[in-house]
Amino acid sequence: MTTESPPALDNTIEVPEELKQNVFITTLDAIYNWGRMYSTWPMMFGLACCAIEMICAASSRLDIERFGWGLMRASPRQADLMIVSGTVTKKMIPNIVRLYNQMPEPRYVIAMGACASGGGPFKEGYNVVSGIDKYLPVDVYIPGCPPTPYSLVQGFVALQEKMKRQSIKTVPWYNKDIPSEVIPVPLLGPDIFDPRDVPLIKQELQKRKHAAEQPVVVEEPPADAPKKKPKRAPKPPKLPKWDTTPTPEVQALADRLNEAIAPDAVTPEAETLVVQPEHLIAVAEYLRDTEGLEYTYLSNVTGVDYLGREPRFEVVYHLYSIRHWGGPVVLKARPADDENPTLPSLINVWQSADLQEREVYDLFGIKFEGHPRLKRILMWEGFRGYPMRKDFKEPYFEEDVKPFTNRWPLGEHEHIEFKNPYKKNVYYPDDFDPDTWQPVGEELEEIRLKGVENIAGMRTDRIKVNMGPQHPSTHGVFRMVVTLEGENVVDLEPVLGYLHRNHEKIGERNGWLMNMPFTDRLDYITSMINNHGYAMLVEKMTGTQVPERAEYIRVIMSELNRAVSHLWLIGFLLNDLGAFFTPALYAIKARERILDLFEEVSGSRMMYNYMRFGGVANDVSEEWLDKARFHVKDTLPRTLDELEDLISNNEILLARTKDVGYLSPEKLVAYGVTGPQLRAGGVNYDIRKAEPYSIYDRFNFDIPVLHNSDVYDRYLIRVLETRQSLRILEQALAQIEPGEIMGGKGGYITRVPAGEAYSRVESPKGELGFYAVSNGSGNPWRYRVRSSSFVNLTSLPEMCRNGKVADAIVILGAHDIVLGEVDR
Amino acid sequence: MFGLGVVKGLSVTLKHFFETYIEDLKYYPKRATLSLADYRMAPGSKGIYTVQYPEEKPTLPENFRFLPFLVTDYEGDDIATQIEEARCTSCGICSKVCPAQCIWIVRDTDENGKPRSKSKQFYVDIDMCMNCGYCAEFCPFDSIIMDHEYALADYERETGHVHDIVRLMKPASYYQSIRPTQYAQKAEQRRREEEEKKRKAEAKAKRLAEKKAAAAAAKAQKDDAAE
Repeated sequence: MTTESPPALDNTIEVPEELKQNVFITTLDAIYNWGRMYSTWPMMFGLACCAIEMICAASSRLDIERFGWGLMRASPRQADLMIVSGTVTKKMIPNIVRLYNQMPEPRYVIAMGACASGGGPFKEGYNVVSGIDKYLPVDVYIPGCPPTPYSLVQGFVALQEKMKRQSIKTVPWYNKDIPSEVIPVPLLGPDIFDPRDVPLIKQELQKRKHAAEQPVVVEEPPADAPKKKPKRAPKPPKLPKWDTTPTPEVQALADRLNEAIAPDAVTPEAETLVVQPEHLIAVAEYLRDTEGLEYTYLSNVTGVDYLGREPRFEVVYHLYSIRHWGGPVVLKARPADDENPTLPSLINVWQSADLQEREVYDLFGIKFEGHPRLKRILMWEGFRGYPMRKDFKEPYFEEDVKPFTNRWPLGEHEHIEFKNPYKKNVYYPDDFDPDTWQPVGEELEEIRLKGVENIAGMRTDRIKVNMGPQHPSTHGVFRMVVTLEGENVVDLEPVLGYLHRNHEKIGERNGWLMNMPFTDRLDYITSMINNHGYAMLVEKMTGTQVPERAEYIRVIMSELNRAVSHLWLIGFLLNDLGAFFTPALYAIKARERILDLFEEVSGSRMMYNYMRFGGVANDVSEEWLDKARFHVKDTLPRTLDELEDLISNNEILLARTKDVGYLSPEKLVAYGVTGPQLRAGGVNYDIRKAEPYSIYDRFNFDIPVLHNSDVYDRYLIRVLETRQSLRILEQALAQIEPGEIMGGKGGYITRVPAGEAYSRVESPKGELGFYAVSNGSGNPWRYRVRSSSFVNLTSLPEMCRNGKVADAIVILGAHDIVLGEVDR
Repeated sequence: MFGLGVVKGLSVTLKHFFETYIEDLKYYPKRATLSLADYRMAPGSKGIYTVQYPEEKPTLPENFRFLPFLVTDYEGDDIATQIEEARCTSCGICSKVCPAQCIWIVRDTDENGKPRSKSKQFYVDIDMCMNCGYCAEFCPFDSIIMDHEYALADYERETGHVHDIVRLMKPASYYQSIRPTQYAQKAEQRRREEEEKKRKAEAKAKRLAEKKAAAAAAKAQKDDAAE
């Protein structure tokens, strides 16, 4: 402003020149900023584990409403703060940028947690973005993995501080000359690329073309030059090999199969059956249908890449019997052609092969003939290479195994994400042109669904609706493509991979022990049970004995965690039904009590990293046990009673959940559904009883079974199961005796003898299995997580079909998926 | 009955509402000795409780872990002495066991260029750290410890989120204040180990002396016999 101020009167106090024009503005600034500071509307979307802590910050323990931050908006157009809570994957980043672009000014971004700030522990993964600030301007970073809710509140205070310093005069959103910044949406090409980086990519492409055209000139070194020591080629890793003498049972089964199907259909190897690909379907059908065998449940399908062996690939199937609780029968099929590996699909024998075969295709490039929807599932169409193959290298590839040598003893710190990411390990197809690139499968779909006749004989239009991946009711970054006729769901297709954090690939680089904290981040509501499952796998392979007290502690932790997980589900299922946050509030309140217990003994609220091979990390004190006894006797039953009293007979709940999402028990088994959903369908199958692990055979408890197979029963069974967990807990807490908590060798280097093993536990979501192949070194050759949430999703389309769209949300809610486990 | 669900729901809310105030009244006589957060977060306390963070902070359990720091036995402010007196011997176990590989160490050298068992530089990239606590668990010198400091939000990350040796150094008294039990345990363990070492050394010296004496005596005997 250049207007002249009127001459000051003699008797007035002289106002300094620079203040004259600003007194009004400063006051206005203070009022304006005060208003903004205490009425920030965050966007309601969560990405990963940190989102759970964000929800906890919004619930009663911390109650961000105190700051006026509690009004979370599901639409970006109504929000002015984006809390990026968790790992940002390459598949998810275009959506986040789109959401950001839709937010009106003024807008702020908080990067919550190590992953959102800089990639976190998953930074090395091929599908993980090293920090959201590569794409969005970030205002506040909150470190920690995960940050506690307290850290988040402190981040809010820091952002308020920042708002306070802004002036109405300088902020860009009132200046007409500065248009609101629109971030170009990143594209999913052979790898992700930012449109702002196109010149860089072109440069690289040019260079490659140039290099390809030029003949390779080898420069003769001058004769007197000191001879460089040739770099020693890294030794190829040892191929896993072990004794393959078949056990008598397997030999007998193999003989039976060979007699029934073909003379050399299967070859027994240790505890597995190697099946000739052409006989695979016949063998599968025989095992499923023959009386006495009845292996109706296909639990796990996975690929293994034995690079350097002939034939290279192998697909492993784990079968169990639901009827006689027998198993596993392990089938192996080896595609003959290494270049173009193909196997017959088993989807018509067991539907549960559907998503799992797609995953094997996505990560290993093994094709399954006869699969109706064989396309990528975790990565996007057009991604280069098959990431779980042993010769796959990531853009930021460092080394095959950890520890990485560059970190010690002479490593200067470097941020790898600031190096040019478009070099060396990024593969571009010959016809790749970044200017005209159109991501496959991302084009707008032409809708040819007008004027169809619906079930009632009326003419109507079909529409396709994308729910997610940031929809608040999809419990994370999950997308459902729903085809609707009015309100009726005609078809539904789950789209996954938005939280694919490359758990298995990182797990194969990690040492055995290093994987333990990573398992915490699989299903981040039930980390203790993940720890338990993984510890059991390695103990099985090494033959480590677990002391008595450690077993008791493990059971106590697992069951407490089961109770917590079921409480969480009950609260959020009600959220999905429209009872927004009140039941969840009381469920979270009880959960916080248990988390306090976990925090006291393990040091963290969510990522416990508590179990070790041969025991547990810390002992529990007598005081702690008393607290646990109190919660088991008082807090948890009281909360359950209250929730049940409040919910179970509520007429709205009954109207919304009775007879919704029915699926017959036979189909549940065929789809590979496990856990509470299976038992709510009348099938009595719980791994704690069917194949007792740890010390579960010592406790007196029942497996509740309900028969309606609808959402109401799926809710009720969780209440009943929690009560059974409390029964186990009471016994365990009464029986526990002092003693050792660690067996085995301990130490930070674990060597696992060559071999393979599959170990499974009953998680609150279903069967959580870990499969590993070891070559005898310090790292797993193949490490696979069979997650229940992922396989359970196979049944989602069938359950939702012909229902209402609002029911689809509830059915998904009753699935109780946790995206960390679905996408891994 | 139609509408009963609404009444029930509201009564639950009302119950929690009253419980909260009853608990507050119960706390009143104890306010001199106990903080409200500790009272309300103890088992048995009913009602809804909100921690008035940041004005009020609950007591953290001793095992709580956030980011690692390095322990120095020097209590003063001089950075160089702090680093010199640090417990870290640059053995690199923490960096090898770290699942996220977020630790970078530069080993110190003496004037002749020979490596010393001290670290010159020590980086922890807190944007990669997964707070798992392995570094502290497997450190043989009780030198790297998981901190209780969780309020670390800031406005930039390129420099602030890489903790270097200066930032990581904290005195042993701080370690003792956040983890008293563990500190005492480890100190006791070290003391016992040292005693054991001393005892062994003494025993060895004694054995040696005895052997020497025996040999001397034997020699003397031999000499005597020869005479």
